[in-house]
Amino acid sequence: MTGPLIKAQGLGLKVEDRWLIKNLDLSLDRGSFLAVTGPSGSGKTTLLRTLAGEMEASLGSVKKQLDCHNRLAMIFQDLQLADGATALTNVLGGSLERHSFLSTFFGFPTHEQIEANVLLTQFGLAEKAHQWTSTLSRGERQRVAVCRTLLTRPLLLLADEPVSSLDPNLADKVLAKLKDYITSNDGSIVCALHNDDQVAKFADSVLHLDSTDPCGWKLEEIKKEEGT
Amino acid sequence: MKRELPWHSRFDLLGVTFLLFLLGALGSLPAVEGSGRNLDYWGNISRFASQFFPPDWSILGRTLEGIIETVQIALVSTLLAIIISIVLSIGAARTIAPLWLLWPIRMFLNLIRTIPSLLWALLAVVIVGSNPLAGVIALTFYSVGYLAKFFSEAFEATNTDAQKALCSLGASPLQAFQYGLWPNARPIIWSHCLWMLEYNVRSASIIGYVGAGGIGLHLKLYAESADSWNKFSMVLLCILIIVTILDFTGENIRKSIRDKLEGNRN
Repeated sequence: MTGPLIKAQGLGLKVEDRWLIKNLDLSLDRGSFLAVTGPSGSGKTTLLRTLAGEMEASLGSVKKQLDCHNRLAMIFQDLQLADGATALTNVLGGSLERHSFLSTFFGFPTHEQIEANVLLTQFGLAEKAHQWTSTLSRGERQRVAVCRTLLTRPLLLLADEPVSSLDPNLADKVLAKLKDYITSNDGSIVCALHNDDQVAKFADSVLHLDSTDPCGWKLEEIKKEEGT
Repeated sequence: MKRELPWHSRFDLLGVTFLLFLLGALGSLPAVEGSGRNLDYWGNISRFASQFFPPDWSILGRTLEGIIETVQIALVSTLLAIIISIVLSIGAARTIAPLWLLWPIRMFLNLIRTIPSLLWALLAVVIVGSNPLAGVIALTFYSVGYLAKFFSEAFEATNTDAQKALCSLGASPLQAFQYGLWPNARPIIWSHCLWMLEYNVRSASIIGYVGAGGIGLHLKLYAESADSWNKFSMVLLCILIIVTILDFTGENIRKSIRDKLEGNRN
């Protein structure tokens, strides 16, 4: 399949009579990383949720070119983990769509458990796999949420500030892994970020949102230096 | 400058209800009447209490057998009640069940709760005879009335974010319930189960009074025969020990669950 994974035309987003974004045209090619930046309240989360199909656009349309529903997944800003379950069980939650209720009633298939453990190890959580997520730090919980979403094997990943609680070094590692995981499968990422360095390092293009002017958004290509 | 609050500011909901309670209790005092005879209350108490001591250790073996049967009745009835209550509570939780199912189940649970455990025991003895099975049936019904209500409230109060997240990641509603909502509700539900087990050990100690098995039958026999109050006190002592152990264990488990759930999110 070719062409952009997601395409928004004339998109207008409104929350409680306040316009956040107007006339946004967006097209996301395969293998690309789009960063969304802007101050709090500028509409980053609303845009991601609209692209995910969780919210209706007030104006315009969003078209996705995905072969089935599970190829789109979201990392939520508020993580939305089950506190009374282990990190491993939370991650395995990402595999549920591939299995029936009865086949996961008494546990998950071995190959899914292996894949979940590999993800936890890659994100530095191997030793925390069997701890309840309620006992993990915010940064660790954030990585559990990332692993859960990656286990859905998404083609289009919508990530709402996925590294906001991590120190810069760890945040870079997590973003690098996310980008590698998704783009190596010819997928794309839309990621809300606050840190300009991270945007410059990982994004191919950036959408700046303006909290005062709904038409004041700016979409820019990021020119990469040789070797980066 | 010191500002006085108006006099009526003390009469909030708490103040008014407390005042009503106090008036009601004081107004009920004339209903509390003695026999009218001139009895030596303190003498009676000291004579009666002295018959309790020392407890008769010769019946320890028999008493322990009765206590074990009591705990067994409590364990089996609590397990049955947990299984039935989980199913009923899903139907009684506003956040899960549709209205047409919610209200009939809630009414059914209200009906069960209306009947006290001793009455359930009497009904069960009439149906299955005087044996521990009657005790299990009685306490199962009694416990379902409470556990199903507690469980449904736990489901309603539980954070549903993880459940919604799993749904949006492609899980079916049942899978999202099992892996999103259930883990969050489970600690509270288990805490209720432990409380119910403690409660059922206490209840199972008395339902034997009407023939539904357990240590209650011993209590009845000793209370009705003359000069057996020292045996009666032995039974009470054993019940006290077992209930205290359960209380202590249950509280510690509940505390550890609470601590684990609150976690250390630094």
